[in-house]
Amino acid sequence: MSAYIERRSPSTFKIQITSMVDMFVILLVFLLKSYSTSPVNVTPSDDLTLPASTSIKDPTENLKLVVSKAGIFVEDQKILDLNDGQLDVAEVDASDTQFIRKLYEALDLQAKKSRDIASQNSELEFDGKVIMQADRSLPYEILRKVLYTSMLAGYSDVKIAVMLKE
Amino acid sequence: MRMQRTRTDDSTFELNLAPMLDIIVSIVPMLLLSVVFVRITVVDTPVPQAVEQAVAAANEKNKDLVQVSMMVTKDRSVKITVVDRGQNKEFEVPGKLSASAADGKVVVDLEALYQKAVAIKREYPDVFRMEFNPDESLPLEDLVVVMDQVRKLKGNETKVQFTDVTSGKPIETDLMFPDVVFGNVAGG
Repeated sequence: MSAYIERRSPSTFKIQITSMVDMFVILLVFLLKSYSTSPVNVTPSDDLTLPASTSIKDPTENLKLVVSKAGIFVEDQKILDLNDGQLDVAEVDASDTQFIRKLYEALDLQAKKSRDIASQNSELEFDGKVIMQADRSLPYEILRKVLYTSMLAGYSDVKIAVMLKE
Repeated sequence: MRMQRTRTDDSTFELNLAPMLDIIVSIVPMLLLSVVFVRITVVDTPVPQAVEQAVAAANEKNKDLVQVSMMVTKDRSVKITVVDRGQNKEFEVPGKLSASAADGKVVVDLEALYQKAVAIKREYPDVFRMEFNPDESLPLEDLVVVMDQVRKLKGNETKVQFTDVTSGKPIETDLMFPDVVFGNVAGG
């Protein structure tokens, strides 16, 4: 009797995984469609919310300049602090109220690096392009100072990163 | 009959999906980490360069240049100035009360601005550059919205026709002023 039961209901069994594979394949297709290799990476935070725009121009690989409410960053390196989007008066040059010296020094260093690379490699050239990720609530007053300083450092083609408005 | 049924059962087989499942389980977390639900694009905003200014000045000297500039004031009114061969034409779009804000917030009248930009574009179809001089108090969000309004014609509008300088052939486009330059960055 026990041998009969053992034969009828074996201790091992097979899980039916066909439907699970179906589900995973659908998920895989969806994820592959939304896979991004964009050079602009935005880390969601309270300090940085990009403005929405109808522009459909894709970003290219350029120098990254982030202006959040907490500070100004060049290539993910913090250059100076902002107090809720306000720049400390001491950070602005006394003789030129639009000029931010620390930012200029950081951008100038990046420009020199790019020019050095361009001098070694004829396929590359310094084009003075920069992608600026700025918080949407920041006033033009601070952005103007950033644009002016980057222009003096040789980065005169500024592209503002935006979220695509559907 | 019994024998035949047994033979049919033998000819069917089950596909071993376990390796495939292994691969998918490895790929899915990697893709989940890199998934993007918000698409990031860019708005071109070149700042004026010394060389370009010199070229612009030289062109102005010849009195054969049309320059379009737009100023957005603190009270959200937009002033568009067209310099056509030395002659100034000014257009103003006053701000309006926001429909959604109960506190009586004044916003840029985007529809009126768009209509004005379309009218200017139809008059000057080969001008694509616009100098933008916003007030310092305006947030970036408002600037981007204003730039969006003057960049492109909406889908239902008839396209603008202009003549290609090199080939002399007529070209149709839905672009209005895609080349927006912050004019007041270097002083002004």
